[in-house]
Amino acid sequence: MHSLPLLLAQSAEDVAREIERLERNYKFLSYGLTVAWTIVVVYVLMMFSRQRKLKQEIANLKAMLEDKGPPSRDR
Amino acid sequence: MRDKLVYVLGAAAILLFVRNILAITGLPPEAQQGAIFKIIFFHVPMAMTAMLCSFVALVGSVMFLITRNFKYDAVAVAVTEVGLALLLGNLVTGSIWGRIIWGIWWTWDARLTSALVCWLLYAGYLMLRRAIEEPTQRATFAAVFSIFAFIDVPIVIFSIKWWRTQHPQPVFWGGGSFPPDWAQVFWLNVLAMILFGAVMCAVRLSQEEQQRELDSLRRMAHAF
Repeated sequence: MHSLPLLLAQSAEDVAREIERLERNYKFLSYGLTVAWTIVVVYVLMMFSRQRKLKQEIANLKAMLEDKGPPSRDR
Repeated sequence: MRDKLVYVLGAAAILLFVRNILAITGLPPEAQQGAIFKIIFFHVPMAMTAMLCSFVALVGSVMFLITRNFKYDAVAVAVTEVGLALLLGNLVTGSIWGRIIWGIWWTWDARLTSALVCWLLYAGYLMLRRAIEEPTQRATFAAVFSIFAFIDVPIVIFSIKWWRTQHPQPVFWGGGSFPPDWAQVFWLNVLAMILFGAVMCAVRLSQEEQQRELDSLRRMAHAF
């Protein structure tokens, strides 16, 4: 007679613990995926920024060289 | 032509990732570990792609030392950088998985330690390149360093076979198996990660070419 409420109480506790475990599990899964994608996105953004910088520098130098003209003609 | 191919491969990688993320969301939690097990769908493909990158870096470095062609040096640096980013993702996702399953963020286990050493070695490779100005000397030293760094890659891969480690045995190669629908999503994610890595390597390679063009323009500018 006494064991039934005890069993119910235990299973309710178990359910609560299991829910907590599942929530923690999902929370950490989302952390993992967020970090993985953040690393990927940051790297892609760094790549884009480097690309833009390189193109800009090349364009600037080409423009500068065109302005100056070939060295043999100047001298 | 190469740019178009890069765009097509990039779009294919993104589509595959989106498809896989939807598929992974639909899969039930694993019986023993729960939902956190799903991190394997990113943790392992990142490691596999990073290891593939280090192998390509080894080939590029050896080819540079044989031919002295800077094209191979550019390949080596491009794949090393992409591999380093992916290995970082692998280490971090593994650490988050370990916090739930082992109760700790990190342990000095053979697999984890060798993977960290691998990351530090390849980070050292990139730092070494920044430290040397002269291009031929830079490429030669970097190639030798890359070959030396590759020694750690088989140690990372086989550490779980050679020593008793806390890191689990691999699912496919350690006698375990996935249900067919899980295996399909897993291998498609490996493919997506390799495609993504290839696209990033191609972009990085074109940047190395642009860097060489920039260096030659600078030399011309100095000649005036």
